[in-house]
Amino acid sequence: MQYEGTPVIQSSERFRLWQRMLFTVLACTGTTLLATPLLDYLDLANIVMLFLLTVLLIAVSLGRGAAVLAAVLSVLLFDIFFVPPRFSLAVSNIQYLITFAVMLATALITGQLAAGLKQKAHEARIREQRTQALYEVARQLAGTLALEQVIEFARQFVRVQLDAEAVILLRDDHGLLATTAADTHACRIEPHLAQMALNGGQPVRNGEIAGSGYASHYLPLQASMRVRGVLALAFTANASELPPENLALLEALASLIAIAVERLHYVDVAHATQLNMVSERLRSSILSALSHDLRTPLTALVGLADSLSLIKPPLPAPALETAQAMHEQAARLASLVGNLLDMARLNAGNVTLRREWQPLEEVIGASIKLLGGALDAHPVRVALPAELPLLEFDAVLLERVFCNLLENAAKYSPEGSTIEISAQQTGDFIEVRVCDHGQGFPVRCNEDLFNMFVRGQTDSGIAGTGLGLAICRAIVEAHGGEIGAENRPDGGACVRFTLPRGVPPVLEEETP
Amino acid sequence: MSSNDPKVLLIEDEKQIRRFVRMAVEEEGCQVVEAETVARGLIEAGLCKPDLLVLDLGLPDGNGIDLIRDLRGWSDVPVLILSARSQENDKIDALDAGADDYLTKPFSVGELRARVRALLRRRIRNGESASPIIEFGAVSIDLSRRVVSRAGEAVHLTPIEYRLLSALLSHPGKVLTQRSLLRDVWGPSYVESSHYLRVYVGHLRQKLEDDPTQPKYFLTETGVGYRFQP
Repeated sequence: MQYEGTPVIQSSERFRLWQRMLFTVLACTGTTLLATPLLDYLDLANIVMLFLLTVLLIAVSLGRGAAVLAAVLSVLLFDIFFVPPRFSLAVSNIQYLITFAVMLATALITGQLAAGLKQKAHEARIREQRTQALYEVARQLAGTLALEQVIEFARQFVRVQLDAEAVILLRDDHGLLATTAADTHACRIEPHLAQMALNGGQPVRNGEIAGSGYASHYLPLQASMRVRGVLALAFTANASELPPENLALLEALASLIAIAVERLHYVDVAHATQLNMVSERLRSSILSALSHDLRTPLTALVGLADSLSLIKPPLPAPALETAQAMHEQAARLASLVGNLLDMARLNAGNVTLRREWQPLEEVIGASIKLLGGALDAHPVRVALPAELPLLEFDAVLLERVFCNLLENAAKYSPEGSTIEISAQQTGDFIEVRVCDHGQGFPVRCNEDLFNMFVRGQTDSGIAGTGLGLAICRAIVEAHGGEIGAENRPDGGACVRFTLPRGVPPVLEEETP
Repeated sequence: MSSNDPKVLLIEDEKQIRRFVRMAVEEEGCQVVEAETVARGLIEAGLCKPDLLVLDLGLPDGNGIDLIRDLRGWSDVPVLILSARSQENDKIDALDAGADDYLTKPFSVGELRARVRALLRRRIRNGESASPIIEFGAVSIDLSRRVVSRAGEAVHLTPIEYRLLSALLSHPGKVLTQRSLLRDVWGPSYVESSHYLRVYVGHLRQKLEDDPTQPKYFLTETGVGYRFQP
């Protein structure tokens, strides 16, 4: 779309100064020539009227300066050619001096008034035209779908209305400005000034570099949320001082651009969010379909192996043993599948935590209860400080952490030895430790332990896949904590992890 | 098998799972009626008036939760849910809709039999006249006099602690969701303030459990709610 290019040039400026003066002199001479033959028929007072009419017409058509010249010239011509004695500046009757004075005053005043009115009308027309143009650009900006369009509309507007070149600099994620492509050739930018305008949120102007091809005016694009960028302007004419109405126009334009840029930004954000949601949904539906398809046969396998013991009459002992072994293997497979699916879900990107404020001891108790028989040979001692605050975590996931750690501890420590769980505050974190009395971790692989498929003792003959600690790390890190392993000086392995303390919600006291 | 045996309706679309669940439930001396879909399940529930419903949440023609809502319109038969571990929200929805307990797949026959036994026992007990005195471990609670004692000594409970205790006691063995407990004890405006519930359950454990860190009676169903296990 193109603007209807109506360059704004004042009509009185259509002519140069000397041309206007010439026209004035010609007009006054013409009036004299016209009035001379009428001298016999008309009173001098009426000839004065003809001169006044001339001054008025000149004021209307040629402006203020010409009107002044016409007034003076008219009085002189009237004196020389019409007032007796004619063809001299001398005056026979002193009364004519009053005529001259009144004539001059009237001519000057009417000239001023007429020229002033004309000027006002002209200004009003320009204002209206600009308002119209501003409406037009607002309408266009409101309908844009791309940043390039916004920039193009803004530049056209500036070129037509202000005879200037515009560059729009947009803020990037780090608060710095970047030119949009294909824009740089319009005029050169002083980056320092642009940054000042962006940071200060105020227009910045440097008159000294105006006209040198550098942009001299920098206006911040202030939108409702933040300053979105800077509008830089280079005036073709050497106009270091902008008239106030132009400045107001520019500010209006800057906020229109800012709103358009902000709107486009939120369109982008909404679009990205939607894409994200779609892919998230796809991922989770694939995972849950996979989970269902893997679990269903495993559930049947575990249950069917179990149900062999219910058959009447009872199966012979070796068959029952086989059934028991099948049950165990199927259960192991199920737990492996569970771990793999958990890992897939945790690795799939944004883990959505169902965080709630709760006491740590509750999830520890639930984990011990869940493991049940697996901990029969290992008494668990829980030693938590009495003043431990509520923590914000996803109970289901943290239960996985404790289960995995307790299971590991039970697997790698001799029967009858205790497993100890303790916690303490360290700064903004709560540090939890799960320790056993086994052999401890092999010294060399402390960091690797938390990677997937890494096992401390590869040839130990103890079943495992090396996923448990990797899952623990993923969960702890999703909570904003850290996990690490160490050996105790007196033997035994320790896994410690931290959870952020945060600010627990206030519990209203019970009023008895 | 006599007609007095309790009837169990099993709604599950996977044939092999139905097979071993049926064997396990029959071992408890029950008659088993099977259904594969939500629609068929509702019809069977109306026809055979079961004493217990075992329900898989993911059925081919609809959601098991909707079936529970339908069922609760006209029946209070106990419902045992079979669900996968990663579906905490489904479990909560099913329990809020009126299910009584759940089993996480894969489960062993032993667990299944224990749950079935407990639910059937509760159903029978519901018919008896309820005693105002409840006893577990060393704790004795007289609901008519609002007196709680442990090993013969009176235990002081605050009004909210007592309300929470009686909410838990009123459904022994049943999993109560956080939301339902918060609503019943604190009121509807507290359903999102789960930390109240956690802290007060902690108080009850301190006062009534032998080892509050490893409770035996007031059990946590992580991510779902609580259960009073007498």
